[in-house]
Amino acid sequence: MSDTLPISPSTASEEDLVQRLRARDESALTLFYDRYAPALFGVISRIVKDDDTAEDVLQEAMVKIWNSFPAYDAGKGRLFTWVLNVSRNLAIDKIRSRQHRVGTRTQGLDDSLAAQRLPAAESFRPEHIGLKEIVQTLVPDQRQIIDLLYFGGYTQSEVAEELKLPLGTVKTRARTAIKLLSKLIR
Amino acid sequence: MEDPQSYIESGILEQYALGLLTPAERAAVEAEAARHPAIAQELAAGQLALEYYADAHARELPAGMRDRVLTKVLAQVGSAAPVASASLRADVDALAQPQSAPGEAVVRPLAAATPARRGWAIAASVALLLSLIGNGWLYGRWQSADHDLVALQEDQSRLAANTMVVEKKLGDARQQNAVLRDAEFRFVALAGTPAAPAAHARVLFNAVSRRVYVDVQRLPAPPAGRQYQLWALNKGKPVDAGVLTVAAAAGERLERMKDIASAQAFAVTLEPVGGSATPTMPIRAMGTI
Repeated sequence: MSDTLPISPSTASEEDLVQRLRARDESALTLFYDRYAPALFGVISRIVKDDDTAEDVLQEAMVKIWNSFPAYDAGKGRLFTWVLNVSRNLAIDKIRSRQHRVGTRTQGLDDSLAAQRLPAAESFRPEHIGLKEIVQTLVPDQRQIIDLLYFGGYTQSEVAEELKLPLGTVKTRARTAIKLLSKLIR
Repeated sequence: MEDPQSYIESGILEQYALGLLTPAERAAVEAEAARHPAIAQELAAGQLALEYYADAHARELPAGMRDRVLTKVLAQVGSAAPVASASLRADVDALAQPQSAPGEAVVRPLAAATPARRGWAIAASVALLLSLIGNGWLYGRWQSADHDLVALQEDQSRLAANTMVVEKKLGDARQQNAVLRDAEFRFVALAGTPAAPAAHARVLFNAVSRRVYVDVQRLPAPPAGRQYQLWALNKGKPVDAGVLTVAAAAGERLERMKDIASAQAFAVTLEPVGGSATPTMPIRAMGTI
């Protein structure tokens, strides 16, 4: 009886996942989803600000990751970093084409600044310690810049222009914020 | 070139990690990282920091999303489904083609006809017109049948995919049920420690077969780079019982861990991904047999 229990390998390691994706093993997509979808969906929905669109983008991202997997070079970075960038770029393309239709770029930035001031959405997992730690670690100025750069798809110059800050200040804050995040992990 | 430290200070590595560079600039950064270990290390730290940042925004996924997304993704990457519907469409088009051909073939100039043959010509024209109308109507029916068929085929493949998912879930549930009903298994409740007061899990331990399963009720999501690990405590000594997969830590299923010969208690810690040989972090949940 229990002999036949389907035992998942005790860890679907990143290496294992990379190997299976490289071997075009479609079952790897299920493992991929279980491992990365919560984070990817979190990031994408933060960018596109709509769950239905985010679901579409996640699906497009998985197809893109599958199709362009031969381009992934494990020597240049971890799988998670790569898939985050693929997903983030698709999501940013999505809002750019939308902003293009609706109007100016500035309007988009205003929207995302307004979103900054809102308390964390209740859809964030309340017991999730990561976000709380980040809020405690980064001052609002740093967090705003990282959010605009990472979730808003803005360049440093665009952020500097919109926030009326010298470019050097934007660069320093971004750098300090990433350094603080690094320390949080160690 | 400048020295590695001032290169690091320039902030270009953060721009790389944030995805703000052009492909040419990226290649230049990668070349620098390949030359200087200090730059490579700094670059990796920045990327890891943003992974952590992204992971902190992880969300509960909406109900039903897993099946929807996986079904669509598999349909798009798989080769079977699109080919089948493409060939069906070709078949239908091929059948539809000859239908319109006879109509065109019968058209002849009527001007040359003699009065005696005019009656026949008119009759033939009427017949031709009726035939054209009939053909048009039939063609319309074909077209809608084509659409219906394709739609039905899509429905069917979606249902088949759903059925597979449901059958797999049912099989898993049956087998987990068998473990839960096996009287040889003892249930060990693990309660959260002050480090994680809300943590709550169970270990199912079969001292005869030495099997160990873990059943998570609630564990805080692990931060990036960390993974829960189960320990069996035997005469006070911790023995590695394996790390918990993401699904197991989220409480989605019973998971079989490493076999354990003898234990008086079980404990869970949060270790670096891949687990540790001995516990390096405080205990998050614990329970004795």
